[in-house]
Amino acid sequence: MITIKHLSHHFVMGKKGETKLPVLHDLSFSVNKGEVVSIIGRSGSGKSTLLNLISGFIHPTSGEITINGTDVTGFSEAEFADFRLNQIGFIFQNFQLIPSMTAYQNIELPLILKGINENERKKITEQTLERVGLSQYPNHYPGELSGGQQQRVSIARALVLNPPIILADEPTGSLDSETEASLLEFIRQLNQDLNITFLIITHDQEVARIGSRTLEIQDGHLIKGGNSR
Amino acid sequence: MNFKDKWRFVQQNLKKNRVRIFMTVLATAMGTTFLIVLASVGFGLHDTLLKDIMEQDNLNEVSIYGYENEKGEHQYITDQHIEHFESLNNVKTVRRMNYLGQAPNYQVDNFEATAETRSVYFPAEQQAGMALAEGTFPTQANQVVVGYHFADELIPQDVDYDDLYTDDEVRKEETLFSENIIGKTLTFDIEKFDENDDVETTTFEVEVVGIVEEPVQRGWDDSNVYITDMLLNEIAAFTGTHTGSPYPVDDIEDTPTEKSYDNVYLHTHTLEQVQDLTTQLTDEGYYTYSVATEMKQLNMLFTIAKAGLIFIGTIAILIASIGIYNTMTMAVTERAPDIGIMKAIGANPRTIKQIFLLESSYIGLLGALIGTAVAYLISFAVNLGLPLILEAVFEEELPEGFQFSSIPLRLLFVAVAICLIVTIISGSRPAKKATQIDVLQAMKREI
Ligand SMILES: Nc1ncnc2c1ncn2[C@@H]1O[C@H](COP(=O)(O)OP(=O)(O)OP(=O)(O)O)[C@@H](O)[C@H]1O
Ligand SMILES: [Mg+2]
Repeated sequence: MITIKHLSHHFVMGKKGETKLPVLHDLSFSVNKGEVVSIIGRSGSGKSTLLNLISGFIHPTSGEITINGTDVTGFSEAEFADFRLNQIGFIFQNFQLIPSMTAYQNIELPLILKGINENERKKITEQTLERVGLSQYPNHYPGELSGGQQQRVSIARALVLNPPIILADEPTGSLDSETEASLLEFIRQLNQDLNITFLIITHDQEVARIGSRTLEIQDGHLIKGGNSR
Repeated sequence: MNFKDKWRFVQQNLKKNRVRIFMTVLATAMGTTFLIVLASVGFGLHDTLLKDIMEQDNLNEVSIYGYENEKGEHQYITDQHIEHFESLNNVKTVRRMNYLGQAPNYQVDNFEATAETRSVYFPAEQQAGMALAEGTFPTQANQVVVGYHFADELIPQDVDYDDLYTDDEVRKEETLFSENIIGKTLTFDIEKFDENDDVETTTFEVEVVGIVEEPVQRGWDDSNVYITDMLLNEIAAFTGTHTGSPYPVDDIEDTPTEKSYDNVYLHTHTLEQVQDLTTQLTDEGYYTYSVATEMKQLNMLFTIAKAGLIFIGTIAILIASIGIYNTMTMAVTERAPDIGIMKAIGANPRTIKQIFLLESSYIGLLGALIGTAVAYLISFAVNLGLPLILEAVFEEELPEGFQFSSIPLRLLFVAVAICLIVTIISGSRPAKKATQIDVLQAMKREI
C-alpha cells in the first residue's frame, strides 16, 4: 500500500540556505493493505517529517514514495492535493478543524471539495456523523466540543471520502488516557470493518501497541521494521 | 468543487467582515461613478453637437473651392472640371455658381434696388432642393428669379432716404413695392472701364419669372437676383471679363483668365458617399470641404476627449483597487490557517485561488453596479439642474435638447469592464498568495 525506498531528507536552513540539517537517512519500508502500522521514536527523531513527506506537505531530498501503486515522488502541488483528497485521510494531534465551521460542515468539507452533489453529501455526512457517534452534535462548533469529540469529528472528516489509507500523527497526543483508549479501540474497529490501512505515529509505547507491526526511528535511522538494512 | 459551493464560501467570508467589505465596495462604487459621470459629459456634449449638425440640410454636400495642378499651382474650377464631376458615380448633381463682378442697380416701374447677382445652373439647383415660392425657373437668358426678400429692398426711385421710414423705423406704406414682382421687367446697367478709366455702359432687360422660397434658417434674408449662365455670358461679352467685372483683367490680381466658377457644390446620393467622394477629390488635387468631413473631425476630437476622460476616471478606479488589494490581502492572512487545513485535506490550489478571485470580483461587480446606479442619478440630476442654474446665472437660454451628460450603453459596458478588470487584477495577487500558503506553517496554530 505504501512503499518507501531509500528516502532521505534534510532541511535547508539559514538566510542563504547554507546550513543543511539532515533528518532522515535512507529509509526503506513498506506497509501492506489493511495493516495498522505504528511508527515510534523519541521526540525529534524525524517521525513527523516522515509523515509529511508521505503526505506531500514537503518534498524529499532523495528517495521514492509509492502509495497505492502510484509513484508520487515527482508530483506537483496540485497533483498531490488531488491525490490526498482521493486516497488519504488525516488525523492530526491538534485535530485541525476549521473553527468557524460546525462539526457537520467540517465533515462535509472533503465532499464539497470533491464536488459531490448536495443530496449525496447530506446522506454521507449524516452517516459518518453517526459512525463516529456524534449524531447529536452536528451544529456544534469545534470550540463547543471536548477534545475527544473534536478528534472524532476529525476522524469523521478523514473517513468521509472512504480513503484506502489514513495517516495519523500523534492522534491521542491531546487526549486523556481514557479517551485515548476508546479512540484506539475505534481505530481498530475501522480497520476491521472497512479494511483501511493505518499509519500511526506516536512516541508512546502503549499507543504503539495498536499496530500489528511497529517501525522504530532513531535519529533519522530506521532501526526496526525496515526492508533492508 | 462547483460554483455554488465556492459562492457559499465567499458569502460566509463576506459575512465575517461586513464593515470592511462595505467600505471597499463603497470605494469601488465611487470610482465607477466618477468614471461614468466624467465620461458622460464628453458623450453628452458630443451628442448635442452632433444633433445640431445633423439638423443642417447640406449634409450630402461637398464644396469644391479650387484645384491644385501637378505643378502646385492654384487653379479655378472650369467647365472641364464640372464635366469630370458630373461623370463621377457618387455625384448626384453639381451645383455651380458665380458672383457677378458688379452689383447692378435694378429698376422696375418707378422702383429700384441694388442687389447681389448670382449666376447659377438652375437644373442642378432644382435637383439639389431649391424651390420657388411662386413662378417658374428661367429657361432663357432674359429670365431671372429673385430672392424671397428682393421685393422688400425695392424703394421708389426719387425718394429722399429720410422719408423711407416712420419714426418707429418701419418702412412707410407708400414706399413699399406692393405689386407682384412676377412678370415684371427689371432694367439694369452694366458698366465697363477702359484703360483710361472711362466708363461705358449698356442696358439689359430681364423678366422676373419666379421667387425663391424663404430661407430655412430664420433671420437670413435672400434679396439676390439669380441669373442664368447665358445672361452672365452676355454680360461678360460686353465687359470682356469672365465674371462681368467692370475692370480689365490685369487690373485685379487673381482674376480668372478663363471661364470658371466661384462656388461648386457636389451633392451625393447618400451621406455615406460624402467621405469617399471627399477623399477621392482631395487625392485628385481639389480643395474640398464638407460638413460630413468636419463631423468626422469633430467625432475624432470627441473620441480622443472621451478616451482621456475615461482614462482619468480609470485612475479613480485604480485608487479604489488599492482598497480591494488591501481587503483581499487581509482576508487571505486572516484565513491562512483555514486555507492550510483545506490544502492539507486535498483542496486544489486552483480552487482556493478561484474562491478568492470570486470574492474580489464580487466586490468589484457590486461596486460597479452601485456606482452605475449612482452615476445615472447624478447624470439625470445634472441634466435637469444645470440648465436651470445656467439660465439663472447667465440669463441665457440653452438650445433645445441640450444634454450636458449622457450615458450610452457602450460607456456603461466600458466602465463596468474596466472596473471588473481592475478588481480582478488587484485581487489576483492576494489570491495567488493564498495558494502559496504553506500547509505545515498554517497548521501550527494552537486551538
Ligand atoms: N521545517 C523545519 N525546518 C527545519 N528543521 C525542521 C523542520 N521541521 C522539523 N525540523 C527538525 O527535524 C527534526 C525532526 O523533527 P520532527 O518534527 O520530524 O520530529 P518528531 O519525531 O515528529 O518529534 P516529536 O515527537 O516531538 O513530534 C527535528 O530536529 C526538527 O528540529
Ligand atoms: Mg512530531
